[in-house]
Amino acid sequence: MAKINKNRVPMPKRSVKERIKDFMEVSKGYTKRQAIEEAKRCLQCENPICTKHCPVHVNIKAFIKKLAEGNLKDAFLKIKEDDPIPAITGRVCPQEEQCEGACALGKVGDPVNIGKLTSFLADWAKENGIEEEFKIKEREKKVAVIGSGPSSISCAVALRKKGYNVTMYEALHKTGGVLQYGIPEFRLPKDIVDEELSYIKNLGIEIKLNRIVGKNVTFVELCDEYDAIFIGTGAGAPIFLGIEGEDLNGVYSANEFLIRINLMKAYKPLEYDTPIKVGKKVGVIGAGNAAIDVARSALRFVADVYILYRRTKEYSPARKEELRYAIEEGVNFKELVTPKRILGEGGWVKGIELVKMKLERSNKSDRSRPVEIKGSEFTMDLDSVIIAIGTKPNRLFYNSVPELEAEEWGGIKVDEDFRTNIEGVYAGGDAISGGATVIQALGEGKKAAESIHDYLTK
Amino acid sequence: MHKIVFKKDLNSEDYLIQVKAPLVAKKWKAGQFVVVRLHEKGERIPMSVQKVEGKTIFMLFKKLGKTSHELYSYKIGNTIRDVIGPMGNPIELKKYGNLVVGSDLVCGHAENYAISSALGKIGNHVISIQGFPTKDMVYLKEDLKSVTDEYYITTEDGSYGRKGLYTDVLKELLEKGNVDMIFAGGSFHELKKVANITKSYNVPAMVTLRTLMVDATGMCGSCRVFIDGEMKLACIDGPMFDAHKVDFDEVMNRNKMFKEEESLAFKRYKQQEVME
Repeated sequence: MAKINKNRVPMPKRSVKERIKDFMEVSKGYTKRQAIEEAKRCLQCENPICTKHCPVHVNIKAFIKKLAEGNLKDAFLKIKEDDPIPAITGRVCPQEEQCEGACALGKVGDPVNIGKLTSFLADWAKENGIEEEFKIKEREKKVAVIGSGPSSISCAVALRKKGYNVTMYEALHKTGGVLQYGIPEFRLPKDIVDEELSYIKNLGIEIKLNRIVGKNVTFVELCDEYDAIFIGTGAGAPIFLGIEGEDLNGVYSANEFLIRINLMKAYKPLEYDTPIKVGKKVGVIGAGNAAIDVARSALRFVADVYILYRRTKEYSPARKEELRYAIEEGVNFKELVTPKRILGEGGWVKGIELVKMKLERSNKSDRSRPVEIKGSEFTMDLDSVIIAIGTKPNRLFYNSVPELEAEEWGGIKVDEDFRTNIEGVYAGGDAISGGATVIQALGEGKKAAESIHDYLTK
Repeated sequence: MHKIVFKKDLNSEDYLIQVKAPLVAKKWKAGQFVVVRLHEKGERIPMSVQKVEGKTIFMLFKKLGKTSHELYSYKIGNTIRDVIGPMGNPIELKKYGNLVVGSDLVCGHAENYAISSALGKIGNHVISIQGFPTKDMVYLKEDLKSVTDEYYITTEDGSYGRKGLYTDVLKELLEKGNVDMIFAGGSFHELKKVANITKSYNVPAMVTLRTLMVDATGMCGSCRVFIDGEMKLACIDGPMFDAHKVDFDEVMNRNKMFKEEESLAFKRYKQQEVME
């Protein structure tokens, strides 16, 4: 047996000083030599559990073997069998909780850097013009996919590969959903998103932009025209705190802040027209992925940024790598605090009143509960407050389809085959989960495609 | 891509654009708006629609900031990148009885026409009032006259029609009685006045809130307004709200959010123009 190499091939990164001045990616990506060296660390387990922990079940062992042998093309094609957008998943998946978390090497040292090997291969394939080759056996039946985010992409691609005539309806002027409007460039460059999405166009999936189902297209019209429908409308509506002061100028939802920056490119005011106002001292409520994205974005406008979190950072649900980057870059954490009200002066944010929290361990759940410490209120000066405590499904679509059964929290109700209560209508992604990962949505879209295929061939 | 088929100056500040937008034209109903994005680097701005003709829609603009000046430089035959919609909710088409539709500012006048003609068609007695600063600024008068039963015009300096504001005429009409419903659009300070006047006469009023928006599909929350203390989104819950329940001070304040950035962008645009 070969000697085990406990340490990862280090990922070349841009320095903090350099990267906080712009919105470009942090990691520079492996070179071919580095990638092959890293791939060679894989133990090629007899029963690999990494794949089981991948929501789309990429055959990780097989692609890494090909890569280690220097067969980059086959390694890339192996990934593509299960993952339609590897350049994206390699960058944004929480690998530490999935494939890499399950990697046997992790028990003795660093797990194989599966994420970065994935994005390396995807980038390499783009640079070298490598594409999947397959023949599509055309079928007559037509499927509409509502939304163009991760779950819709994966559902559309899977159905198209089976020969269905697939049309995607996107409400915004660009495809990609949360990949486009939600995730900042320094985590996921938009030219990479655009390139991955040009792949779905090349497959022959028709994309209709600026189509708002419920406004300029009705659900009934879609039902009449298509044999099946997949709803991947995500969870795009902001959640506010419901406290005093949220009407002040200088208060943003994380969604608004990120849409202005990512979709509308407000960070390039000399080129783009959409405005943004950040202020010198910014408070971000929450500590999930969106909060970290907001905080790191605000930092790049040369602001002092404070994450205001009711727990401690170990409890942050954000991807660990991003959390590390945020701290490295100088985002401040104010732990164990909850906002009571936003303070204003002349209609603008002036500060925030916070109350201190303590964590109480409840015997059953492993996650301790934050509890307010009475009388510990204090205030903090701020120029802007950005609320990043989550999102919920958008009412615009739901209101237009009253017969669609929903969960109490607002998501679409589906069975284990991703069927809604309306025949021929399926759903997946954040629209049914409320807010999960890109890869989970990809997994659901793919499974829903299987169900749609069964339905259309029965 | 949306081709501009007609463009006309309404006065020294305002202009009309007729643009091809088949999907909007097919679905639009009075009260709904569109989102316009001039080009790849443009902002998404909500715009009122005056009317639909075939596959085209008519929009009225005021030369205010960068985007409206830039669009003014477009010629007939040029294209606008996106005209998206219709967005928001249409007005309820029903018999209200005697109704007054009042407006100032460019979007308000477009809405005035849309609402007056839609509600007039189904048998309402429609009284329209338009307010302008001065005689030279007047537009849409003949169009509105042709779709309404009664028509009033005011100018602030008294150079044309009645001297004063459209809300002054509204107050007189309410004083005379026999008004069942009011619709109003335009400047927030006059809308606030509409709310106060109609409240005192106990007549229902709906106002269009043209707030800041980005996506206009319920995602960003930039257009949040407070209706009877409850947060609503003007893009998907509005754009029209019960005037008596709107917190106008809040609406007026939030509208100032990007004033500084907007004037900077306009300054830069002007400089560029001079250089070219």
